[in-house]
Amino acid sequence: MHISEGVLSAPVLLAGAVLSLIGLTLGLRKIKNEDIPKVAVLSSAFFVASLIHIPIGPASAHLVLNGLVGMLLGWSAFPAIFVGLVLQALLFQFGGLTTLGVNTFAMSMPAVISYYIFRKMLKKSKNIAFIGGALGGTSAVLLGTLFISMALIETEKSFFAVALTLFTMHLPIAFTEGIVTGFVVLYLKKLKPEALG
Amino acid sequence: MKKIIFLIITFLFICTNTLEAHKVNAYAYREGDKVAGECYFVDGSPCKNSIVAVYDSKGRRLLQTTTDEKGKFTFETQETGDLKIVISAGEGHRAEYRLEALEKSEKRETKKEIAVKESDKKQTPQINRDEIKQIIDEVMDAKFQEIRNEILDLKKQMDKTNIRDIIGGIGYIFGVWGLIMLIKRRKNAS
Repeated sequence: MHISEGVLSAPVLLAGAVLSLIGLTLGLRKIKNEDIPKVAVLSSAFFVASLIHIPIGPASAHLVLNGLVGMLLGWSAFPAIFVGLVLQALLFQFGGLTTLGVNTFAMSMPAVISYYIFRKMLKKSKNIAFIGGALGGTSAVLLGTLFISMALIETEKSFFAVALTLFTMHLPIAFTEGIVTGFVVLYLKKLKPEALG
Repeated sequence: MKKIIFLIITFLFICTNTLEAHKVNAYAYREGDKVAGECYFVDGSPCKNSIVAVYDSKGRRLLQTTTDEKGKFTFETQETGDLKIVISAGEGHRAEYRLEALEKSEKRETKKEIAVKESDKKQTPQINRDEIKQIIDEVMDAKFQEIRNEILDLKKQMDKTNIRDIIGGIGYIFGVWGLIMLIKRRKNAS
């Protein structure tokens, strides 16, 4: 889910950077001071998640956890994911510094979307909360692949082919992630219900 | 909350035993006119059937080829200057490798050849000079192959993600957020 350096053209990079900047300012404004530890934890969870590699099919895919980050943080997912991505780019050369904007947007926007759609389900009974978490986790990854393929339109030409391969490649990951997210939500509901609020 | 945080992080750490991701790396070397190379993901798995494009130092595209099932590729070129090899493994994955110019080492070789020639003349050559060169080339190639493989293995190991970086990264993240908290607090106070 990381686009490497030198793949995208300047307009796409610029568009990604601008969109991410909007998200970042929105997110930073919305964070309350007492929420910052939570943001930091989810930021590092996101950072580590990309290293958990699940071998499926021809290429390798990894957990993203953007759904979880999004549902717990809302717009603050933007800065959380951005910080994680910066460090991934610096330490592991995942993605790259020039593609930071595009990558941040492609992963944070689905996070925010799943926050708006599924957050209400998390507050309800256990079963509904689990389903909400699972759906949020899954859809955030799949939406992310859609954004990534949109960014790749110019370079890869056949949008549908790329979107389709990315989508199918990430289906198993998306499901695993849905289950992981669902369980994390259940766990939080038990121990720290206010984190979901 | 502390418990949850701790559990999430330990869970993630346990999983990172198999830590890998899909960064792409490339490695290439010259063999006379031939250039051979290999392309692999961070975990060492090969990039199959990926497009390999070769550019010269001025950015002109020289040729294009694809990797085989083992992620290896070879091509022939007369270009002795710097070469830029770009491998695109699809879906936004890409690696670059810069192959340095040949000229310097070639000059040295020619000097040596001249020296050999002179000594050959003194010792009444029984074997043709080309044959000697061919034998030397073969022996050297076989010996270099081992070294090349070792270099490749080393490079693969170096490119793998390393637990120290992960711990450091988490530390940095907390540091950054601590800083943000500090700034926000100051703003609120003033």
